Amino acid sequence: MLNNNTKSKVIGVDISSERTIFAVVDVRGNILDSDSIPTADFPDAQTFSTELSDRIVSMMEKNGGFETFHGVGVSTPSGNHLTGCIENAPNLPWKGKIELAALLRDRLGMAVAIGNDAHLAALSERVYGSGHGKKNFLCIKIGMGLGSCFFSNGHEHEGGRGYAGEFGHICYKEGGRLCGCGHKGCLETYVAHKGIIMTAEELMAESNEPSLMRSLAELTPRTISACCDKGDKMAIEVFRRTGHALGMGLATYASLIDPEVIILTGGITNAGKWLLEPANEAFEAHVFGNLSGKVKIMRSTINDEERDVLGASALAWREPEYSLFK
Amino acid sequence: MSYKSIKTRVIGVDIKKDITTYAVVDIRGTIIAKEQFQTTDYPDISDFVSELSNRIISISEANGGYDNIRSLGISVNSGNNYTGCIENAANMPWKGVVPLAAMLRDRLGMAVALSNNAHVSALGEFVFGSAHGMKNFIVVTLGSGMGSCFFSRGKAHLGADGFAGEIGHTKVADNGRLCGCGHHGCLETYCSARGIEATAHELISTTDLPSKLREKSDFVLNDIIDCCKADDPLAVETMKRTGKMLGLGIANYASIINPEAVIFTGRVAKAGDYLFEPAYESFEQRVYKNLKGRTKFLQSILDNQERDVLGASVLAWGIKEYSLFK
Repeated sequence: MLNNNTKSKVIGVDISSERTIFAVVDVRGNILDSDSIPTADFPDAQTFSTELSDRIVSMMEKNGGFETFHGVGVSTPSGNHLTGCIENAPNLPWKGKIELAALLRDRLGMAVAIGNDAHLAALSERVYGSGHGKKNFLCIKIGMGLGSCFFSNGHEHEGGRGYAGEFGHICYKEGGRLCGCGHKGCLETYVAHKGIIMTAEELMAESNEPSLMRSLAELTPRTISACCDKGDKMAIEVFRRTGHALGMGLATYASLIDPEVIILTGGITNAGKWLLEPANEAFEAHVFGNLSGKVKIMRSTINDEERDVLGASALAWREPEYSLFK
Repeated sequence: MSYKSIKTRVIGVDIKKDITTYAVVDIRGTIIAKEQFQTTDYPDISDFVSELSNRIISISEANGGYDNIRSLGISVNSGNNYTGCIENAANMPWKGVVPLAAMLRDRLGMAVALSNNAHVSALGEFVFGSAHGMKNFIVVTLGSGMGSCFFSRGKAHLGADGFAGEIGHTKVADNGRLCGCGHHGCLETYCSARGIEATAHELISTTDLPSKLREKSDFVLNDIIDCCKADDPLAVETMKRTGKMLGLGIANYASIINPEAVIFTGRVAKAGDYLFEPAYESFEQRVYKNLKGRTKFLQSILDNQERDVLGASVLAWGIKEYSLFK
């Protein structure tokens, strides 16, 4: 069979609780076109899939036509690559188990692959970012939650049921803060968005010392780190404690995995040195001796807006090509 | 050797700090012959290599001929599979970095593979033991120390430098017991044989639980296990506390790996249900909810004396055949 039609593009989709971004990505990771829909406008997964498929089809038609696309990759919280489902996502409008890959495949007539956001952020780093050329590395995502994925021998480790990498739910303090998962003292309750705010509130309640944080209209990791930039001692202490918890957790993780590099992604890492320096200090103090001074801890170099879309596109290439219309 | 023939046997060597065991093993994991000698008789590594080489040649000649041996696999504390060296073993008589695989290859003229005992135990379980048929699992060795190795998609994860799996040196207690590695609160200081003995001593001085152990000043792990079998309250409580720590540490591990099973080996595992019932209970309380009720806790079905020799034979089959004499 002679065939000159090389499929040179894929669609990468990034679903988050607010927005769903979809983009045309070429073989080299160039984003040729991109658009989004508000996720929360679709309380029902069926109507969401229909709208998303329609929008993807029009985008494909605008960018060389349906036949020039290899497939679709989707990054979503709680996405399970092994089943193609979204499973019990706490922050998305759709409850229970959603067979999103099947829903989209039926509507689009082409191959669809799903992965969770932590997994695809790591894949994105591996293909287009700081994990390029690395076989064993960790990718940590710190935002509303604390997720992770690691690569083992050059492939992502998904675990027996695709649930691996629940770094946010390892125990940091026995009997500590209550976590959304039902346990107490999970690392996430100290390191992710809400945890940082809670640490700030605790510190403000502990003493009467003056702090810029006391006059903030809205207490968020972003505004707290802005206070750090102005030299506010208490705000710096908030991130010192956060960094310490993160560094301890990373030490446990690294002692198990022995990674070449740990890549930090997600909004919270914008706090920069206020978070990373104490994290590095705690890491070096607690990691197994053989690894101390050997593991690089770095921030991702990929644009936050693009990382998951790129990771989703990398996943799309792995799926065997399939078309309903040939 | 003619072009028609194939070598059907390998040598598996298990070097422990007191005893070195070596065996001729065939394709199906049948141990054809097995012998031992005292490791401690050879404080000089060259003498050790000479003795081991001579013994390997004689056991091979007596069991099908040296010509029929394909390769050699070695299990040793702190063995690095990537470099073929023993690297700074804390418990071995030979200090620094010892290129054992290269030394033996020179003497024997055949391919030699070497790795640490945690990796080799996991290989033994994977091919001949409790992990047969699994793709993602953890093998935890509980002995004088505490080591582990996990498999990802059917392959051992060794990490960037071969140091992965240091579960014994992850933190479970803030400012806890001092560990040989220099840190405080490592899991190993609670769950290794020495850790359990320390817990028993603590209970003797801080509680008034009745116990036969109070009559002995220098009891060891086996005495505690024996007392458990006689329903000795203090011994049972010792195992309960050990199990609680073990369950917590393994829950952190499993939340990251999502294994199908955790398999326990080593002399501490002989404590059986006295240890594993409280350990599993604490594990279920602490592991991420997606994994609850879905992770098996298994005791190895392999004989402690044979596991590492069998694992070493698997390691031997994994390297390229090579012979100086053809």
